[in-house]
Parts: sequence; structure tokens; C-alpha cells
Amino acid sequence: MIRRFILAATLAGTALLTGCASGPKYAEMASTIPAIKQGEGRVYFFRSDSMVGAAVQPDIRLNNEVVGSSKPGGFFYVDRPAGSFAAAASTETEKTVTFTLDAGETKYVRTSPSFGVLVGRIVLQLEEPAKAKTEIQTLSYAPLKK
Amino acid sequence: MFFARRSWATGCVAVALLGGCAHSVRTEAAKLSPALEQPAKLIRLEREALIVLPTGYKRRLKPDSKWRHVGSIAQGQVFRSVDSVLTIEGRQVHEAYLVISGGALLGFYLPGESNYAALEAPVPLFIGDTQ
Repeated sequence: MIRRFILAATLAGTALLTGCASGPKYAEMASTIPAIKQGEGRVYFFRSDSMVGAAVQPDIRLNNEVVGSSKPGGFFYVDRPAGSFAAAASTETEKTVTFTLDAGETKYVRTSPSFGVLVGRIVLQLEEPAKAKTEIQTLSYAPLKK
Repeated sequence: MFFARRSWATGCVAVALLGGCAHSVRTEAAKLSPALEQPAKLIRLEREALIVLPTGYKRRLKPDSKWRHVGSIAQGQVFRSVDSVLTIEGRQVHEAYLVISGGALLGFYLPGESNYAALEAPVPLFIGDTQ
């Protein structure tokens, strides 16, 4: 019993210290998200709500520009002119994902923890739209803080 | 001395692992000539296709998946997924379109880089319901 309490307290403490995403849920704010501008596309970055690797919250870069960070249970989006893009997380090893973005198109990039040799790392993958749209519903908005 | 050697060996292993065990996807430059037909031609895969990439990663093309003709490159006709997204993976991850010629998948067009990545051997596809 005491062990369970300690485990729960540790997990809660880790979550508080590392800062899980705490903004409004997608379902609550979807109506306020603006339409995509003419000639632009939208890229959603999201991470499922899991304590695994919760302390690993690197910056996410899109074409070498920091656009946000990978937070457990969080999502954010960026709008960019149609074109070619490379997204990566700043962790132990860098694994980029390259893709194109058409005008009016929305792409979804899942960020998920993995374990490297020395520290945890975040792996990026393009996710199927249908699957991503379902998963994002319960995630919290975590935009880049300027 | 023993510890120094062990540290050196450990360091070498770590560097090797950090360098990434996966091979990079081998690519060559490819120029896509966009498809002109309107509406774009659609194809449907009647059966699933299991693909082993030269990097060792595997991909499954689902049965009944639909693909839209987007153009051609020197190696064949290029089709992108209609309602999903396909990637191929090595040291990096690349969005990928199918490159088909003679009813077989020859490789992938990587739109993010305008490159072509060939498979080691063509994979026959069962293509149906073209329009």
C-alpha cells in the first residue's frame, strides 16, 4: 500500500515538475481554431498522454525553426506556406521526418518517447489523419511560449 | 589500465549506437512531371502488399487502399495515398509515394526531397478499379 502511494506520488511529482500539457482540450477549443489561409497548409504536432518518458520534452523544429515542444498529452499546430518540410526533435540523436504540405492540406506529426543509449529521445512520425484526429480530441493545447 | 580500456570500448559502442544502427534510405534525384488529367486517376489495391525496405524496415500497403495519380518520374508512374500517409524509414523518416511500372511497385518518390528510393526487387501489386 505504502509502495503504491510512493509510486503514485512520484509519478504525480514527475508530472508536475516536468510539466505536462495543461491548456484547453482540443474538443473545447476546436471552434476557435482559425481556417487555414489561402496558399498555406497546417501541421499538427501531438503526443499521447503517457508518463513513459514524461521528463523528455525537447523542442520541436520545423525547417530548423523551433515551433514548440513535445509535451505529454499536448498538441500544437503551425500554419506554413505550401512546400517541403523537415521536422525534428532536439534530443540525443536527431531523426528527421520529411514531407510536403499542399495548400489547404493538414498533416499530423506524432511525437513519442523512445529510449536512446544515454537519455530518452523523441521520435517523430507522420500519422494517418483519421487516427490523429481521434487522438487529438482529448489532448491539451500546448503552443510555443514566446 | 583495465578501466581505461573498458571506458574506451564503452565509448566506441556508444558512438556506434548513437550514430544510428539504421541505414540511410538510398536515394537519387528525381524530377516529377505532374499529371495533367482531370480528375486525377485513382487506383485501388485489391490485395495487401508487404514490403521490406532495403533499410530493413517493413511496410504494409492495405487492401482496398486508394491511391491518386500525381505524375511520373523516369522510373514509373507516381501515386499518393488518398486518405492516409505512407512513410519509408531508415536513419530518417520520409513521406513516400508509390512508383509503379508494369503493375509492380519499383520504389518510392519522396516528395519532401524530390528523390527516388528504389526497392531491391519489384513488388507485384494487384491493382483494380481504376477510373
